Order: sequence, then C-alpha cells, then structure tokens
Amino acid sequence: MSRYLIVTLPLTGHAHRAVAIADELTARGHEVAWCGPESYFRPLLGPDATVFPTGTRLFRDQARHGIAALKSLWQQYLIPMGRFMLPAADRAVLGYRPDIVVVDQHALAGAVTAHRHGLPWATLVTGAMELTRPLMALPLVDAWVRAQVASFCQAAGVTDAGFEPLFSPYLVVAFTTRALTGEQPFPGHYALVGAAPLARPGDFAWDLLDPARRKVLITVGTMADGLAGDFCQRAAAAVAPLAGSVQAIIVAPSGVLADPPGNVLAVPSVPMLALLPWLDAVISHGGMNTVSEALVHSLPLVLAPIRHDQPVVAAQVVRAGAGIRVPFSRVSPGQLREALLRALDDPRYRRAAEQAGGSLAAAGGAPAAAARLESLVPAAR
Amino acid sequence: MTAEQMTADDFAAALAAATGDESMLTAGITAATLLEGDLCLDSLDLAALGALLRDRYGAAVDLPGYVAGLEIDGIIGLTAGEVTDYVNRCQAGRPR
Repeated sequence: MSRYLIVTLPLTGHAHRAVAIADELTARGHEVAWCGPESYFRPLLGPDATVFPTGTRLFRDQARHGIAALKSLWQQYLIPMGRFMLPAADRAVLGYRPDIVVVDQHALAGAVTAHRHGLPWATLVTGAMELTRPLMALPLVDAWVRAQVASFCQAAGVTDAGFEPLFSPYLVVAFTTRALTGEQPFPGHYALVGAAPLARPGDFAWDLLDPARRKVLITVGTMADGLAGDFCQRAAAAVAPLAGSVQAIIVAPSGVLADPPGNVLAVPSVPMLALLPWLDAVISHGGMNTVSEALVHSLPLVLAPIRHDQPVVAAQVVRAGAGIRVPFSRVSPGQLREALLRALDDPRYRRAAEQAGGSLAAAGGAPAAAARLESLVPAAR
Repeated sequence: MTAEQMTADDFAAALAAATGDESMLTAGITAATLLEGDLCLDSLDLAALGALLRDRYGAAVDLPGYVAGLEIDGIIGLTAGEVTDYVNRCQAGRPR
C-alpha cells in the first residue's frame, strides 16, 4: 500500500482524469489524498476524501482566441494559481507524507513542491498543449511560455538547471496515443495510456431520442460559455433543415436556445458516457475529453476549435482522418451542415474514428496509468 | 513586372480567397484591423493566407516565417497593415 498525493486544477478535463486514476489506485488498495480548491473538489470527491485545500482563482478572461488566450491562460490563471497552491501543496506533503506526488501538467505548485521535498512525482498530461511541443512553430511564443514557467520556479526558490515542472523526469502519463500524436518518439518514462473515461451522473430525457434519425451531439465545452451562445445558434440553424434525418442534442448555456428547431434538444449538460453509444457524430470545440470519448465510440467529429490546445487536438483528429475542422468564429450554418453531412455520410471518417478510438481504448487507460504509478514506488525506496 | 502596392482591400481579397469566406470583403478591414483579435484568424487561416500571398505576390513572401519571428505581443497585435507592409517590402526586395 502506498500513499499518493494528487495535485491538480479545478477544471473538468484535468480533474476528471485524475479522479479516474485515483479510483483505480484506491481499488488497488492504495491511499489517495488531494490538493486543490476544496470548493471544487469536495463536491466532486465526496465527504470522505482527504483534501488539502488551496486558495482558488476564477479563470474569468475566457472570451478570447488564439495567442491572446494562451497569454491570458498563463498570466491570469496558471501562474497565479500555482502561487496560490504552493503553501497548500507544501502543507499537504508535510501532513500527508505521500510516497508519490501525482501532478497535473499545469498545476505547477505540485511539481515544484515534490521536487523541493525530493519526492518522486509524475506528470498527468490531460491536454495537447505541451506534449508534442506544438508551439515550436512560434519559437518566441514558446520561449515566452518557458520564461513564465522559469520565473515561477525561481520565485518559488527552485533554480536547479534542468528542472522542468511540465514534464516529470520519473513518469509522464499522457491521455492520448500515437494515433493522435503521430509518430514523434517519446522517452521511455512517457506512458501514453489513451482514454480514461469517467462516468458522471446526469439526467437525460432518454425517451426524447428518436431511434429513426441519426443523432448528433453538439457541445463546445465547459470553458466557453461567453462564446458558446452564438455558435449554438448557428449550429441549431445548421441542423434545422435536416429534421427528417438528423436529431441534434445541443449543450447550450440556459436561455441561448429558448425556441430551438423541432429536431434540436437543447440541454444544459449531458451524461456524456451514457449518451455516446446512441450517437452518430459529435460537433465539438475539440476538448481532449470529448474528443477521446467520441473516438472511443467510433464517432466522426466536426471540430470548431476556439483556443488553447483545441486547435492542436483538431489538427490531430484531421490528420488521423477522423474529423473535419471548421472555423469556430465564422463557420456559417450552411458550412457547418455541409461538414456534418460529410462526417455522417462518408464512411471513411467513421472508419478512421474507429481506428483512432481503438488505439485510445487499447492503451490501458487508468489501470495502465496506475500500474506505472505503482512501479515508481520501489524505485523511490 | 512592376508589382502594385498591396492595400488593405487587397488583403481582404486575399483573405477571402484563402479562407473561402466572402464576408471578409465586406468586413471593413483596414490597416489597423487585428488578425487575431478582430478577424479571429487561427494558425490554419494564417497558413492558408501565407500560401495564397506567396502565389499572388511572389516566392519571397513568407508569412509563416514572418509570424514565427514575432514576439508574443507582436502576434497578438498583428494587423492587416503590417502584413501588407511586409508583402510590399518583400516585393521591393527588402523583407526585413
């Protein structure tokens, strides 16, 4: 039995993967404690979980695209969040005495704290922003990000050359496979474990699903509410003329689709894993969670990436042949409909989705990640 | 061949052709229009625009190379006017 401390961020895509791994570690007889904002993690983890609470910081500045969004993500959220979390991460390590620290790639405080205490630590890569170094195409932007990270480490008192908080030297667990990353080689301590889906409870009006029509889920994620409304309206207009053959489930902020077309179910959220088996395609902003879960269910994708790692994910899906990319901010209903019909009607997209999804499902997921985490312990003693 | 100076209107036409989005022609693009902040162009759009500019204005025009040389705030603040200036400099044989 070993003790694992998980340091992660209060963001769905990050936290849910960590929960999947924690469940697996617990099932194998290990103990798990958490370090993160209690207001987010307590409801997610339940009353019995050990949570070392941190301060939190809302990520408000979301209505931006591209490099501006990347800059604000680092400057307004990841770096300040790292600073808020440092004292709590320290308390957690001292109070809990973990054998291993499991750190979300963007929860910088966890990496710095584990390093300071000389503990072995693992990186969880839940998105596509760093793993294949997509920013290398913009070297000065890449250098800016590295400089932000370096000055955070310096302010935290860690100045060791070669210390890289985004990538553990012990173990890097990435929720993807080469079906998406391409053939780029990774070091041996990188474990590409594919999808690690986490079933969450949620209501859905199952009786409203029409078995006679093809069904499309349209969701642009949990972080894009400011931008989502306009897209949802264009998406509703895109599917409205397909009423005879297509039914759409649109995850929309409340009030955005007050009077949707007859073939559109507008809902505030969906029980994703329960719904996916009933679907024929997914239109999404390209969050890693949604994309990998859709692929595991062999669903072709239409992706309208907004920012952060979403353009990278979209490019990976397009390269794999499993989907079509459209411009989020200006795709017209007609263009979106055309892309959707291609994804639905051309069997090559589904076959490629099946292939990529098969790779993601076969890579082992949370059990494989847990096994790799277990193998870190003997090396530590 | 004496190339004409590229204008903001020419930029809008090139962008419309590169993205297939005719609304760029009537979007009121001026020299001060921001590629990212105003037009929401992403890396794919820039690549398409770069290929089109090269075809239209000559092999010396390397927009991806130009953008890759910019600092983070330079990319965030990149305007249509900077792109047309760059293209015009390339045509005059002095890209930098």
